[in-house]
Amino acid sequence: MKDSEVVKKLDGAGEDILKQINKGDNPSYELPVRTLGNIYFDTKSKTIKLGDKTSDRQFLNIAHTRKFMQTMLVAAEIKKIIAQKATVSIRDLYYALKHTIEGTEENTFEEQGESDPIIEDIEASLNLLREELHLAASSKGVIVGDMKIKDGKDTIDLNKMGSGGWGVPSNVEPDKIDIKDISAEYVLFIEKDAVWKRFNEDQFWKKNKCIIITGRGQPSRAERRLVQRLNNEFDLPVFALMDADPWGMYIYSVIKQGSISLSYSEEKLATPDTKYIGLTVKDVETFKIPKEVTIKLNNLDVKRLNEMKEYEWFKNKQWQDEFQLMKDKAIKLELEALSKKGIRFITEEYLPQKIKSKDFLP
Amino acid sequence: MAEEKDSNNNKPVVDADQIAKEFKEHSVAEFFKKNKQMLGLYGKIRTLTTVVHEYITNSLDACEEANILPDIEVKIEELGPEYYEVTVSDNGPGLNKETVGKALAQLLAGTKFHRMMQSRGQQGIGASGVTMLAQMTTGKPVKVISGTGKGKPFSLELTIDPKMNQPKMSNVKELDRPFKGLAVQAKLKGIIYRDTEQGPLEYLRRTAIANPHAQIKFADPTGQKFLFKRSANAIPKPPIAVKPHPKGVTVDEIVSFAKATDARKVASFLRNDFDRMGQKSIEEITKKVSFDLNKDPKQLSWEESEEIVKAFKEIDFIAPSADALRPIGEERIHKSLENIVEPEFLHVMTRKPSVYAGGFPFQVEVAIAYGGKSGRTVQGQEGQEKRLEIMRFANRTPLLFDAGTCAITKAVQTIDWKRYDIKDIETSPVTVLVNFISVYVPYTGAGKQAIADEEEVIEEIRLALMQTGRKAGNYISGKRREAEKQAKKKVFLKYATEVAIALNELTGKPVKTIEAKLHEIVLKRLKLEEKQEQKEIAEQNGKAEEEKKEGKGEEGKKEPAKKEEKKKGGKEKKGKSTFEKGGDE
Repeated sequence: MKDSEVVKKLDGAGEDILKQINKGDNPSYELPVRTLGNIYFDTKSKTIKLGDKTSDRQFLNIAHTRKFMQTMLVAAEIKKIIAQKATVSIRDLYYALKHTIEGTEENTFEEQGESDPIIEDIEASLNLLREELHLAASSKGVIVGDMKIKDGKDTIDLNKMGSGGWGVPSNVEPDKIDIKDISAEYVLFIEKDAVWKRFNEDQFWKKNKCIIITGRGQPSRAERRLVQRLNNEFDLPVFALMDADPWGMYIYSVIKQGSISLSYSEEKLATPDTKYIGLTVKDVETFKIPKEVTIKLNNLDVKRLNEMKEYEWFKNKQWQDEFQLMKDKAIKLELEALSKKGIRFITEEYLPQKIKSKDFLP
Repeated sequence: MAEEKDSNNNKPVVDADQIAKEFKEHSVAEFFKKNKQMLGLYGKIRTLTTVVHEYITNSLDACEEANILPDIEVKIEELGPEYYEVTVSDNGPGLNKETVGKALAQLLAGTKFHRMMQSRGQQGIGASGVTMLAQMTTGKPVKVISGTGKGKPFSLELTIDPKMNQPKMSNVKELDRPFKGLAVQAKLKGIIYRDTEQGPLEYLRRTAIANPHAQIKFADPTGQKFLFKRSANAIPKPPIAVKPHPKGVTVDEIVSFAKATDARKVASFLRNDFDRMGQKSIEEITKKVSFDLNKDPKQLSWEESEEIVKAFKEIDFIAPSADALRPIGEERIHKSLENIVEPEFLHVMTRKPSVYAGGFPFQVEVAIAYGGKSGRTVQGQEGQEKRLEIMRFANRTPLLFDAGTCAITKAVQTIDWKRYDIKDIETSPVTVLVNFISVYVPYTGAGKQAIADEEEVIEEIRLALMQTGRKAGNYISGKRREAEKQAKKKVFLKYATEVAIALNELTGKPVKTIEAKLHEIVLKRLKLEEKQEQKEIAEQNGKAEEEKKEGKGEEGKKEPAKKEEKKKGGKEKKGKSTFEKGGDE
């Protein structure tokens, strides 16, 4: 969407509020509700989507009034940023807007935790992407593989990135990032940075003709968007390599179907084709991984596991069996634990065998 | 001995016979040392407050008996470490040379002890106790100036002969300057002046509140001067002696009264020694008991006394006479608190007389003050904070010590103040005043600082507090709503400017125009809410009225033995009290 159209949307929201004010009404701003109660799994796109429940954020409601004020401030600030043709981080935005309200000792925003959700509110209510608002979330992911990237005037060869890899920028939309010369055959999304480093050091991507990427834990939207593009535009299969624990599996679920808080734009972020390559509790048996490197499930793990069992997109036999096995054995397993069987076991035996035998979870 | 009596609340705290007996066995000084605690002369701060109390009490009583509006001056000077000089002077009748010694330098010489009458100093032990204390701690005599209006005023110095418990006068001089009243000056060691809730200043403040007809000046050891102005010009009517009321009298009391009576027959003993006992009552008792009422009361057995108590319970008597009681009166308390506490809201109530175990008539007066100088000031985390203040009085005398064991404190604590919309009374700027009035106050100890928790007493205080609390609650919750409204308004208005600036960015309309419009909207909304609230309150009050009519409220649950002859005059109007006639105008 063009900047001018984005600005028009922002102005429109402002005009709407002004109209209410001129009529003497209690000004209010309609927002989609972004909670578990208002999301659903869209079987067509196979992603999480936002439902149609909305709420009114009212100026004359003592519980809403501060957020109402903050929403207006964020909208106005974004307009200014677009006018300056700049892109700023969401932390920049927080500081730009933070000031003491005249005649009080109160700040417009006390912490970034207050402004971040307001940004998401505006994205969701105006149906705009963060990138279209000229805002950038910090990104932390790295990627290497047989492909080239054109970023502005620079062309970057992602197979010549040394041990560090290429840092994924916060905006990977097609108008910023052009992907070309791909000779890789699939994408491997690795949960942990340390494991990614092992795969890079071992030149796994070169030997196995793949692209390896990590979001260093829960990936930010840029890594997810980039992987989605590789999948959509180049038909590359995506495999996820996670810890065999509820947290790792949840990250997989975010990559595949999306998250609750960003449910309004998951169609642009999620990659429903992603497959889960490992680790699984079943692997412990298959690969004869010694018992002593497994970890006992704690109460929180079990709680999380029970919740995930109920997610619609996990309601298939393979996943239910895996969850049940994890519950029965009451163990979890970290990727690094495979080092017990040799430092290169994961890259030279585990993964090739998994891919060869197509031992994936959907 | 006296300490043992503490647990037996139905009885006078000090048994005069026992004291007299002990007097013969020990010297006065020894007795005094042994019983310092009993006299309230212990604790360095408490002792000084007690000294002031004893002198002030004497002055007030003397002035009232002589029908004089009291003007009292108190001065405390620091002479050295834990060494003070206390001077109290009044404009009362003064003492002549014959009585001054007995009044100020002879222990247990008071005349009030055996009378069933409400008065302040009940044991006649205080002022002489101070003389003794001065003598023991500094070796100095008490200086007295007295002017009776007849003959020349005189000054003299007093000590007590500790062996004989006899006053010793010295340095007697006639004065050439005119003086009317009594001035007493004592030098004391081992005491401390503190400006605390239990110190002399607070004691005088409360005395002034309970005695609006008195004017009290005070100079503290730093030279700071305080004046508690008179707010009532009528002197309270002196009390009269009354007999115990038959309702609530205990068996052992009948036995001991019977032993002491001059009557020759039980019938005449009952008729003469009890209140509200007519020939008709005697006839009814005759029918109910198994023995002949012509028998000698000295021969009355425990079982027969039990029968009499049982009969008393079954027969209707007229409620005890309030004539002997001296309530301060609603109007006077009202004026007095307005004068000294300057509250935003005040409600005062004097209950009808009632009776507690032993047939002692009593009466309760309650006031709740909110805002202004109400409440105790404490140093909190964010500067000065207000806390609940309970002002306890027994026959107008402030009770500053032993609050925890006092029936008044217990009554205040057992009220569910939340019911009256007083959310957290402990941290509210509230002063609760309770004056307990009786010819004989059931003190928990000889220090006379706490009222025993007699069931009837607590219940009466509670009823008064509940009724007064409702009035206060209405006011406080109204005020809270107002404060909340103001806070809300402030929040909306402070964000209005920010919103206006942002909308200006988005729409190009001038900030001032948007801001003004937003202000309008805020004010309109708050007005609407106010109307809604008023409607709700009106509905609630309507409901409360209904309940009252149907007798669901606390009022009317408890009635004294029989309806008071006197009609109460006032009715409540819009939270402000109208006053009923106090017994003392």
